[in-house]
Amino acid sequence: MTQFLEQIINGLVLGGIYALIAVGYTMVYGIIQLINFAHGEIFMFGAYFAFFCVTTLGLSFWLALPISMLLCALMGMLIDFIAYRPLRNAPRLSALITAIGMSLVLQNLARMIWTAKLRKFPVETRPSFLVANKIILPGGAQLSFLDLFIIVLAIGLMIGLNRLIYLTKIGKAMRACAQNKVAANLMGINTNHVIAVTFAIGSALGAVAGVMVGLREVVEPTMGYYKGVSAFAAAVLGGIGNVTGAMLGGVILGIAEVLGAGYISSEYRVAIAYIIMILVIIFRPSGLLGKSTATRA
Amino acid sequence: MKTRANFSTISLVALVVMSFTFMSCEQKVEGIKIAVAGPFTGNIAAFGEMIKRGAELRAKEINAAGGVNGKTLMLVFEDDAGKDKEASLVATRIATNRNILAVVGHFNSSCSLAGKPIYKRAGIVELSPGSTNVRVCEGSDWTFRNLYRDDFQGGFVAKYIKNVLTDIQKIAIFFDNDDYGRGLKDGFTNAAQKLGLDIVATEAYDRDNTDFKAQLTSIKAKNPDLVFISGLYSQAGLIASQAREVGITVQLFGADGVDSPGFLEIAGDAADGTYVSTPFVFELGGSEAQRVAKAFEAEYGVAPDTWAALTYDAVGMIVEAIEKGGENRKAIQKYLASMTTPEKGYEGITGLTYFDKNGDCIKPAYVKVVHDGKFVPAEKQMLDTEM
Repeated sequence: MTQFLEQIINGLVLGGIYALIAVGYTMVYGIIQLINFAHGEIFMFGAYFAFFCVTTLGLSFWLALPISMLLCALMGMLIDFIAYRPLRNAPRLSALITAIGMSLVLQNLARMIWTAKLRKFPVETRPSFLVANKIILPGGAQLSFLDLFIIVLAIGLMIGLNRLIYLTKIGKAMRACAQNKVAANLMGINTNHVIAVTFAIGSALGAVAGVMVGLREVVEPTMGYYKGVSAFAAAVLGGIGNVTGAMLGGVILGIAEVLGAGYISSEYRVAIAYIIMILVIIFRPSGLLGKSTATRA
Repeated sequence: MKTRANFSTISLVALVVMSFTFMSCEQKVEGIKIAVAGPFTGNIAAFGEMIKRGAELRAKEINAAGGVNGKTLMLVFEDDAGKDKEASLVATRIATNRNILAVVGHFNSSCSLAGKPIYKRAGIVELSPGSTNVRVCEGSDWTFRNLYRDDFQGGFVAKYIKNVLTDIQKIAIFFDNDDYGRGLKDGFTNAAQKLGLDIVATEAYDRDNTDFKAQLTSIKAKNPDLVFISGLYSQAGLIASQAREVGITVQLFGADGVDSPGFLEIAGDAADGTYVSTPFVFELGGSEAQRVAKAFEAEYGVAPDTWAALTYDAVGMIVEAIEKGGENRKAIQKYLASMTTPEKGYEGITGLTYFDKNGDCIKPAYVKVVHDGKFVPAEKQMLDTEM
């Protein structure tokens, strides 16, 4: 029982991280039908930006997190501006290939700047409040403050994102663009502006995930590929284009991966998560929640 | 706009074509070329760095002493990033370059295995200073290594635990799901069961992953007395620190893949007390080993590790084969294949190397332990080479 509870916690943390990344994939897809493969690399850069802030600049972790979010938001918008905007009316395949190219460029850029060495946040730069404390749950299972913080932060950001999409003007504009870009444009919505904001929000959330993974695990140039592919699978599982679906998909995939490794076979840890995804896709080709275009945003 | 785009495309293509042309121009050289293949980039590059320095130091010493048959020894470094796919490409590149007489490498077992058929077909010697998987030398007369195999190493670790760490009864294994990790896990499991140790958990991990908490939580639930990590230093470093985070406080034991300064850097305080088995320990080497250690430190500012030593010896062996056998690929193979008895063996800083009919060799294993953030030789060693 203790073990089961601890595994569920591991799964929720991983799921929260996947969800944070997956919404970035799904929001962009919802609006411009582009699978932004460079998103995993933005997640990785988020981790490196925070790492750079706390080590080279000597800033506190709590300052490094928002700085990293801001930088990644800018980076997301910049990528959209230079790589995707010129292809807005080109065939979808061109944009997809560009996205893959962008991903490779960014991954190798990180390797050139920081080398492939695994980097851990130095002990003195870690927020001691989070890493030193843990809660002992009834039954003896432990929950570290860091894990709790990641889960709470992920839930908070997801609720915030949901409110943003459904209650604010920019959210309304995003939903309008998702439904019909041309019509939205005719109604006076600056679609390029809305798309840029979408990239910024998705990238900032990806940065949060990156910083958390960097803190909990390690920072390295290929982390974006590994976690990014799983998060993309989560977005597909939930129904690509659907934000709530991405959150749900992330949590399901995270828990499936951890329980699969813990109780079935750790040799097939990732495979188990993908089998679940494939099964869902077979029976619901548009994913768990992805059906009508009206819910896309 | 259109013409500009076309122009830039054309110039890009031209540039690419030109760079290929330059690359394929092989220069005529007056010297002896051998390749050194290993993980010089990627997330286990700390191995590659030591391999490169070990080879460079040896080449420098050989050239200072007049070269090979009076010619300059030149090393060609080829990077496989520790990945088998890259290794096949590297192997093809080396094999098709007729100027290269032999290969020191690869390091990872999966890379040596990937290169083996290519080197065999081309007829060029592959002498690995790091691959320990049982199958590495099987089925090819062209593949050799100057360290022990994993069935020996696995058995050695099991025996060491049984004889020296006598409090240990229940063991959990956490292995890298590749050729090296799986092979070593099998060797260890067989030996441990024969010795009456309990294997309470066997968990795998994927080398690209960095989150090991799911498996570690399962391991913790089995209450082992010791966790044996069958993998490489970067993941082992993360495993050590994550193990402490999930509440595993028991003894950790790694094999030679963990024997790298990189492990200490990544694991930090969590490394303390970890045992590793290894093919060589400088502190226990002879006077020649001490001289090389000093020269290495003077040259690079850091102490050499095991892999630098084995590469240093491997380069020396190839050079001896060239001098005594002949300056062609076949002669090198014939010379190495004839080193079948201790008398015909090669006396290097890591000990005496001679081969069985596979190209494997029999050498002892050592144990190191992490003490105050440094690897030091363990108090008790078991240097017999009986399996």
